[in-house]
Amino acid sequence: MKPFTYVVPKSLAEASEAGKQPNTVLKGAGVDLIDRMKERLQTPERIVNLLPLKDELAGVAVEASGELKIGATTTIAQLEQHEALANPALAGLQAAAALTASPQIRNRATVAGNILQFTRCWYVRSEAFHCLHGGRGPTCLAMTGENRYHAVLGWMDCVRVHPSNLAPPLLALDAEYSTRLGDKVRRRKFTDLFPAEPRAQTAEHTLEAGEIVTAIHVPKPAAGTRTAYCESREKLTFDWATTACAVKVVLAGGKIAAASVVLGAVAPVPLPRPKAAALLLGEAPSATLFQKVAEAAYAGASPLAHNDYKLVVGKAIVREALEQATR
Amino acid sequence: MSTPRDVEITVGYPALPGLEDRLEKRTVKPAEGDAAPWDATTKFTTIGTDVDRVDGLQKASGRAKYTYDITFPGMLQAMILRAPIAKGKLKGLELDEASRMPGIGAVVALKDLGAKVRFVGDAIAAVAGTTLNHVRDAIEKIRAEYDLEEHNVDYVVATDAPLLSATGQIEEPWAEAAELEAALKEAKVTHEATYRTEVQTHSSLETHGGVARWNGNDLEIWLSTQATFGCRGELAQACKAKGIDVGTVTLHAEFVGGGFGSKFSAGIEGLAVCLLAHAAKVPVKLMLDRFEEHTTTGNRPGCLMQARAGVDADGRIVAWDWRSFGHAGFTGSGGVSVPNYYTADAKKRTAHKDLNIDADPPRPMRAPGHPQGWFGAELFLDELATKAGIDPLQFRLKNDREAIRLDQWRFGAAKFGWDAARARKNEAGARFLTGSGLASARWGNLGGAGRGTPHGITCRIHQDGTVETRSGAQDIGVGTKTMMAIVTAEELGIPVARITAMTGHTTDPSGPASGGSTLTPSIASAVRHAAFLAKQTLVEIVAKHIGVPLSEVHCAGGKVGSGTAQLRWADACKLIGPNPIDERGKRHPNYAEKPFHASQCGAQFAEVKVDTWTGLVEVTRMFGIQDCGLVLAKKQAESQVLGAMIQGVSYALHEQRIMDKRSGRMLNGDFLRYKITGVRDLPRLECHMHSIANGHDSVGAAGLGEPPSVATAAAIGNAVFHAIGVPVRHLPITPDKVLAALASKKG
Ligand SMILES: Cc1cc2nc3c(=O)[nH]c(=O)nc-3n(C[C@H](O)[C@H](O)[C@H](O)COP(=O)(O)OP(=O)(O)OC[C@H]3O[C@@H](n4cnc5c(N)ncnc54)[C@H](O)[C@@H]3O)c2cc1C
Repeated sequence: MKPFTYVVPKSLAEASEAGKQPNTVLKGAGVDLIDRMKERLQTPERIVNLLPLKDELAGVAVEASGELKIGATTTIAQLEQHEALANPALAGLQAAAALTASPQIRNRATVAGNILQFTRCWYVRSEAFHCLHGGRGPTCLAMTGENRYHAVLGWMDCVRVHPSNLAPPLLALDAEYSTRLGDKVRRRKFTDLFPAEPRAQTAEHTLEAGEIVTAIHVPKPAAGTRTAYCESREKLTFDWATTACAVKVVLAGGKIAAASVVLGAVAPVPLPRPKAAALLLGEAPSATLFQKVAEAAYAGASPLAHNDYKLVVGKAIVREALEQATR
Repeated sequence: MSTPRDVEITVGYPALPGLEDRLEKRTVKPAEGDAAPWDATTKFTTIGTDVDRVDGLQKASGRAKYTYDITFPGMLQAMILRAPIAKGKLKGLELDEASRMPGIGAVVALKDLGAKVRFVGDAIAAVAGTTLNHVRDAIEKIRAEYDLEEHNVDYVVATDAPLLSATGQIEEPWAEAAELEAALKEAKVTHEATYRTEVQTHSSLETHGGVARWNGNDLEIWLSTQATFGCRGELAQACKAKGIDVGTVTLHAEFVGGGFGSKFSAGIEGLAVCLLAHAAKVPVKLMLDRFEEHTTTGNRPGCLMQARAGVDADGRIVAWDWRSFGHAGFTGSGGVSVPNYYTADAKKRTAHKDLNIDADPPRPMRAPGHPQGWFGAELFLDELATKAGIDPLQFRLKNDREAIRLDQWRFGAAKFGWDAARARKNEAGARFLTGSGLASARWGNLGGAGRGTPHGITCRIHQDGTVETRSGAQDIGVGTKTMMAIVTAEELGIPVARITAMTGHTTDPSGPASGGSTLTPSIASAVRHAAFLAKQTLVEIVAKHIGVPLSEVHCAGGKVGSGTAQLRWADACKLIGPNPIDERGKRHPNYAEKPFHASQCGAQFAEVKVDTWTGLVEVTRMFGIQDCGLVLAKKQAESQVLGAMIQGVSYALHEQRIMDKRSGRMLNGDFLRYKITGVRDLPRLECHMHSIANGHDSVGAAGLGEPPSVATAAAIGNAVFHAIGVPVRHLPITPDKVLAALASKKG
């Protein structure tokens, strides 16, 4: 690690002021950031620690409107264990949190940090490799290298996948996020947080330098809403998803009145699949229907040399998520 | 001391539940002055009982100091500059700028100009400085230049690798073997298939490395090693070869965080830390990081294996042809072993070829060559048995020539519920399929007395009633200290709590490396001998004190004395005085007479659940039975077996080194991407220690570190075959391979 200045702000205003300085990064728990700094892949001059701002940034609350507000530095464990999540409409979010990493990491890592984490691609995360996404080489090395854990959908000139467990269910729930940059406070749809064209040279997210995510808002779910989150892995303890799927369905009179399907770990961004979700509308849940939706969710996939298994597994996971949400 | 005398002993073992006694009489000749042998009739107080690990609390509380924990005032930290290329020559090496960097105490070259670079991670130079950050900054200032050569890190396409079909079957014609081919022709059912395994790394929790401190010409080094005396000699010579006038070398390895076969040599990191400390004139610490550990300290090689064999109408194997190809790194051996006890009556042949690639060479890893060979052979046998319409257990019972294992098969099958498990049918169209499999294990080692100097042990009895048992050999975490305490307690007739066991300092008597499962069988009888001698001395003191002839005084059950004149242990010890009884026992050679069982046997059973949607295999339960001569420390022995099964589950389902072919660099050289089984992946594990009186020395212990790791992956492979109806012939059995196998079944 290179030496750096450590900023411990006393207020959000101070943090956002410090965050605007050049070559400065924001730190949640640092689980992702410190890893990359140890490898010297990121060598900031200043780090602004957001964790002291508990009053302003931490905690889960149900607002008067019924909206769920998740503070940016809430830990994954706090989110998972919050009573508000014991609700079938939020079961997907809870499952996604519970499946993340290990208990130790869930007790430390923040919700915002999880959503904003850097990709896990084994080329870009190694100081030995020089690739385009890391800003140190001319091309994506995984595309023609070893890519069993890489993208099968939605990739352009870089086949990284977005690793966040929490992003897919939040997208499925039409969540929004608030940010602060200097004095500017904004609130936007979750879909705006991820690049529409995830190229090698675009970041994992669309935040500006120094822009602090302050909270995530989950609108009050409509009556009859249920969500589920499922993921495939190579082992049950402490593993990254090879594919993931979050679904939301609103059941009315045995028929599906509204739905969304979001894939994780298979594309450079968490990937909503509206066409697949549309197949559910007006239909009664059935295995054949789910099979059709799963196929549609992976329509247009272009697997790489070592990851076509992800299509088979990924479709099974879509079916499983739909079964869970309609059970 | 009496002259050698014949002793009649009972060897073998009482019946396993539901089976028959296997006990025999033997006459053996113990060496003069040695303790009389324990045998199958001995009534033990401590041996074979559940004793907690004597250093458990020290380890759990952090008071146990591993090499990693050693620190001195003014000590420097160090790192090695590693070659980023897989093959070539070192053309230029400029160290000056690095040595002028702030905080740097020493820089040494580890490779000569013009020398070959053999793999990514080959050591080039080492740097010591105040903090690792200083060292890292300095390493970035070293200019190393290379002449590049073409490299290959994929053994499957190495020169000499056999031709493979699109489905991964070896297509190379078999070398001619007329008789064998005739036997194959005559066989009723034949089968042929190719198997493959990937590279597994040792993944010891404590990485390699050491802390070195020079006192004039005398070197003191703390090293994470499984061979204290071997490494002491190696370092003395290596430092001399570098022009250092070496006086004495003292090595410490009191606690070692695993080795699994990768820590026999002090390695380049061991030499580097000595050179740096010599140059810097202060203590230096150099521990490898996890990536270096994965990529420069050896591995279990991957291999390709092919078998063709046939059975007669009775299901007996009549022909067996086997060949294997193992990756050997740039040097070393990728050897593969196969069971030979199924094919005793067959016309047979085995052949092996090493394939060189430009990567870190293999090192011995827990039963080198065995888990991979057994996986191939035992899965092949199940495929053959299935073709011949014979249940895998019956097939083993028909063909296995080792009598002890036949008992183990029968006992294990009953315990596991084999027949019921195999009879259970999966529902048609079910998402989850269960299946059961079994596999055998074998190892062969009864230890030895040591080359040159016999292995020794010090036993001290102090006047406060405490006892020390000391070996200069190491305990790499398996429970050697506990074993030593148990054997000493048994011989002296006192509780384990009175005994302190010490290992790992070369100032204590010499002992073997922890390898080949030889440590316990090689030192247990020396531990006993030392205690036996110390006991005799105590008895002499007590005899004199109570005025009774020596021959009438006994030390047993916590008392020393004769008839009604008994002293409690603590009171007897008070007679010793300020200087403890201090005896040195030695390992006598094994008796000339044939032992009851010269090797070790085992059998394991596994049940799996396969998710046909996602391809994920879960091992749901396992049962293992294992012999290791006399079971000394039951709890620690069980830990060895269960631990081997855990490592085997990991090998079967998860572990594989993934290389970037272009750069020759490992991509998953960390614990995030190099996948190792965790708690939620583990089956319900059970084992049975099969204690056997071997009659080969005064204790009769056989090795245990390796044998239980032979069968696990094979049993799981067979269970997966049973569950899904098609074999997955390539380890690890990851979801992608299971799905491909299922797809091949559909056609
Ligand atoms: C062993 C292991 C296993 C893991 N398994 C999983 C898994 O299965 N699924 C999964 O999803 N993740 C997994 N992770 C990743 C882990 O969840 C993330 O690293 C963690 O959530 C990051 O949170 P943090 O608070 O530590 O973020 P940090 O490391 O502090 O920050 C991460 C990034 O987000 C930025 N950032 C953080 N907070 C804010 C904010 N409020 N506003 C703006 N920017 C911000 C930082 O600048 C940085 O770029 C695993 C990690 C490890 C080490």
